[in-house]
Amino acid sequence: MTRRAPLLLALAIVAAATAPADAYLKLGSRIGTRTVTLKWPAMPIRYFVTDRGVPGVTSQQLQQTVARAFATWDGVSTAAVSSQFVGFTTATPRGGDGATVIGFQSRPDLDRTLGATSFLIDTLTGDIVESDIFLNTTFAWSVAAQGDPAAFDLESIALHEIGHLHGLAHSALGETELRAGGRRVLASESVMFPIAFSPGSVALRTVRPDDIAGLSDLYPATGFSRRTGSISGKVTKSGRGVLGAHIVAFNPRNGSLVGGFSLSDDGSFVIAGLEPGPHVLRVEPIDDAEVDSFLDLTLGVDVDFRVKFHEKLVVVPRGGGATKIEIKVLPK
Amino acid sequence: MTRRAVTPRWRRTIALVLMAGTLSLGASEAAAQVWAGPSGPRAGSVEVSAGAAFVGKVPLGDRDAEESRNINTGSGPFALFASESTLGAGPAALLRLGVYLSRAVSVEAGVQYGRPRLSTRLSGDVEQAPTVTADETLTRYLIDGSLLLHLTGLSFAGGRGVPFVSAGGGYLRELHEQNQLIETGREYHAGGGVKFWMGTGARLGIRVDAGASMRSGGVDFRTGRRTAPMAAGSVMYRF
Repeated sequence: MTRRAPLLLALAIVAAATAPADAYLKLGSRIGTRTVTLKWPAMPIRYFVTDRGVPGVTSQQLQQTVARAFATWDGVSTAAVSSQFVGFTTATPRGGDGATVIGFQSRPDLDRTLGATSFLIDTLTGDIVESDIFLNTTFAWSVAAQGDPAAFDLESIALHEIGHLHGLAHSALGETELRAGGRRVLASESVMFPIAFSPGSVALRTVRPDDIAGLSDLYPATGFSRRTGSISGKVTKSGRGVLGAHIVAFNPRNGSLVGGFSLSDDGSFVIAGLEPGPHVLRVEPIDDAEVDSFLDLTLGVDVDFRVKFHEKLVVVPRGGGATKIEIKVLPK
Repeated sequence: MTRRAVTPRWRRTIALVLMAGTLSLGASEAAAQVWAGPSGPRAGSVEVSAGAAFVGKVPLGDRDAEESRNINTGSGPFALFASESTLGAGPAALLRLGVYLSRAVSVEAGVQYGRPRLSTRLSGDVEQAPTVTADETLTRYLIDGSLLLHLTGLSFAGGRGVPFVSAGGGYLRELHEQNQLIETGREYHAGGGVKFWMGTGARLGIRVDAGASMRSGGVDFRTGRRTAPMAAGSVMYRF
C-alpha cells in the first residue's frame, strides 16, 4: 500500500485485495474464492531499521521516529498490539528475506509515492509473515518537532505506513480539492487517509477514532467487543444496492468520526468498534481520492449519488449491533 | 462527572425554599385548624395522586463534525458539518404515594413515564448534504422522592386550598429505541404548587405543581447538569 504525495495522479498498483469485513478497510488477500484478512499471528512485531539516513535525517533519527510511530499504535488501549526494534540492518526494505525492514530507499520511478508497505503472507491463513516499508528518498524528509515547511514529516508518514503494516487499508475520512496539477488535501480525520498533508504539517502524528476502531477491530484487546458496538445495514439507490458508498458514523456526544464502506452488490456495510450511544450516519460517494485508493476498480464502485444524512439517529448498543439500517440515496 | 460550585442562582432558589419552609412551620400552629378542616391530613395520613407532567425542552449542545486541517488551508478545525441536539419537551404520566409526617410536612415517592424525542439537527455540510433533523424516541422512567412543606398559614378557600413547596431527587432511567441501550442518571427538583381538597371529607382533590428539574447523566451530549422547567397536574386521594 502506498502513501502518495499531494500531486499524485496515478496510483501504484496495490497487490493486496480489500477484505470485505467490518468497518474502515482492512487489508485482505484473495485465496481461491475467499478473502482472508491480513493480520499478524503473534505479537510483538519484530522489525529492523535500515542503517541509512538521508539529508536532514540520520539513521538514528529514523529509528527513533519509527519507534515513536510504533509506540503510537502500541498505545491504543483497546487493541492488543506491540512492537520490538531488533536492530539496524544493511538490508533494503524488500520482501522475501523473512525480516520486517523499514527504511529509506531511492525510488525515483515512484515520483508521487512517499512510502509504501509490502507483505509476505501465508496464503492459507492470511497471516503476515513479513512486511517491509520503504520511504522514498526522492522526497525531502524532516524530523523537526514543529515540522519543516520544505520537507514531509517522517513521523506522520511512518505512522500511516505502520498502520498498513498492521493490516489496515485506506480510510476515506478526508476532504480534498482539485487544483491544477492534482488534489490537495484540505483536512483529514484519519491517519490512514491515502493522501498526505503538505510538507511541514505534523497534524497527523496521532491516531484518530477511525484508526483506533480499525486497529481494535483487527486486534481486539480483552473486553473490546463487549464495550463497543456496531452498525450494519445497506445503502440503496432506486431499490438496488450501492457498492462502494462511504458511510461515516458521527458520535454527537464526543465528536468522533468512524468510516466504513458498503462492500457488496447489495450495498451492505458494517461499522464496528463504535462507542455505545446515538450516532449520525452520513453517506457519500468516494470523491476525495481515486477510487482505487480504497477498492478494486473491477468491483464496479458506484459514485453516482448525492451526499445525504440518514434521517434517524442510530443507537449503538454495548456489545451488540444496530442492524437493518437502510439508507436510501438519490442519483446525482 | 464534573464538580460544580453552587451558583448564586441556585443559592437564591435554595434560600427561597428554606425561607418558605420556615414560614410554613412558623405559621402552622396558628393555622392548623383551618387547613382542610378537622378531617384534614394528620401524621400518618396517606395520599395518592395520579396525573400528567410536562417537562420542557433541554438543549444538549452543538458540536461540529471536525477534521484536522492541512496547513495553509485555513485556520482552526475543518467542519464537515454541524450538529445541534435537543431533548424535546413532552408529557409524562406520573403516580405518587405520600405519607404525612405532620399536618404540614409530608414525604412522597413517585414514578414518571415519558417518551421524549431526542433529535439532532445536521446542517452546513461541506458537500451540500440537505439539512436533516435525525431523531429517535426515548423511553424515560423517573423514580423520585420528595419532601413537601405545606404552607398552612397561606391556606385559602376556607382551608380547602393550600400552597406547598417541595424538593427532592431521584433515579433517571432512559432507554433508547428498541431498548438497545439504557442510560441512567440522577434527577433533582425543586418547586411548589397548590393542593385543593374537595367534598365534605376533603379526601379527594386536585394538585398543580411547577418547578425546575435538574438532571445529570442519562441521555446527554454534554458533561454536567442540565435544567428543564417542569409542570404537572394530578388528581389526589387521601386515606
